Amino acid sequence: MAMIEVNNLTKKFGDFYSVQNVDLQIEKGEVFGFLGPNGAGKSTTIRHLMGFLQPTQGQCFINGLDCRQSTAEIQKFVGYLPGEIAFIDKMTGQQFIKFIAQMRGLNDLTRAHELMQYFELNATGLIKKMSKGMKQKVGLICAFMHNPEIVILDEPTSGLDPLIQTKFIDYILAEKEKGTTIFMSSHMIEEIEKTCDRVAILNAGKIVATEAIADSRCINALYH
Amino acid sequence: MLYIISIVYMYNPEMSNTLNKLTETMPELMSAFGMSNIGNSLIEFLSTYLYGFLLLVLPLVFIIMLANKLMMGYIDNGSMAYLIATPNTRFKIVFTQAFFLVASIFILLTVTTLIAILFSGILFPNELDLSAFLTLNIGLFFLHFAISGYCFLVSCSSKDLRTSYAYSTGIPILFYLIQALSNMGGSLEKLKYFTIYSLFAPEKLMAQNSSSIWMLGALFVIGLLCYMLAIHVFVKRDLHL
Repeated sequence: MAMIEVNNLTKKFGDFYSVQNVDLQIEKGEVFGFLGPNGAGKSTTIRHLMGFLQPTQGQCFINGLDCRQSTAEIQKFVGYLPGEIAFIDKMTGQQFIKFIAQMRGLNDLTRAHELMQYFELNATGLIKKMSKGMKQKVGLICAFMHNPEIVILDEPTSGLDPLIQTKFIDYILAEKEKGTTIFMSSHMIEEIEKTCDRVAILNAGKIVATEAIADSRCINALYH
Repeated sequence: MLYIISIVYMYNPEMSNTLNKLTETMPELMSAFGMSNIGNSLIEFLSTYLYGFLLLVLPLVFIIMLANKLMMGYIDNGSMAYLIATPNTRFKIVFTQAFFLVASIFILLTVTTLIAILFSGILFPNELDLSAFLTLNIGLFFLHFAISGYCFLVSCSSKDLRTSYAYSTGIPILFYLIQALSNMGGSLEKLKYFTIYSLFAPEKLMAQNSSSIWMLGALFVIGLLCYMLAIHVFVKRDLHL
């Protein structure tokens, strides 16, 4: 059974189709890339997976559970990085990470500390005062600290410097070794090429192609 | 918590001021109404000065700020995404926030009531009709419960923080102005049917007469419906996080 399944997903805002008839099947242990230009509907698809939006048509399932009905249940084994970087500004990075851990019922913060070290994050300052890249790291730690089986990342490397981007790619490959299912959107082909098994390309709300990464030459051709 | 403290802090000097003023006016009142009515006078004085304006408007400001912050604040800046991405249902999140809002109002009003009773006790022992004063404050709580329900509903259902602030501030202020106009009497008095503040009538509450009971009931039902609707809307709505 597919870990993440999107069936004929359509979302209409007024007269505008944000996504139209999107179908995706992501298997266990797969790293799946989601490419597309800005406004193609990548984030909208992901918001459906997180249960933020009610589909106009179609359904999404994670591990066989309906994303809209069993949202909270699903979150127990899913890690999520939102595309928009937003936190509770009055907290420090550490307070926020601890707060989210508590909301998850997670008492063991060793993984979070390991991740902070790996991504070279000093989270003692107020989030409000942090740079975009630092905030992105806080988000990544929140997505990975509970060792989720499935990770959904919306443009994970935006704001990160090239060095940390490379580290991030290594990290994703390590997670893949562990058997984590990863679904990540991006508009950067390089990071997708280096990490993903398969890739779907979205344009103007429609899936243009779903290919194994081995055929990335033709993806490049399609994408440009 | 910060809001409560700051508001109680703002409220405190006001309170002692009114009570000081009371000391000055006391001799006149005594001669006008005789000794036996002094108990009534103190509570009436309090009800006009505090429950006509101060205790309507200050908690309103507190409610508007808190209600907007508790829901729309997180939705608008996007941090709600992190909260929903934890294994907590939307119902649990919104219910917690609603509970916190109601509890805050309750604490705020309890503190102000206790301060009022305490100060009255120190300055004018035995002159405050305690049961009438408590009924008055219960009435005030129900009024603010209803208004906070409305503000919370707006906070849960608006598309952004600006709209949310506009509606949650605008309508209660409009209601208050209508109330003020209808208080002026004459043909304007009919306006009282168009404002929620008419359901809070200090003189009726203090007299503890039967019409004040259904008015309290009405406020409670309005508040409860608003909160229930707010929770329902938030659980069902699309969130662009």
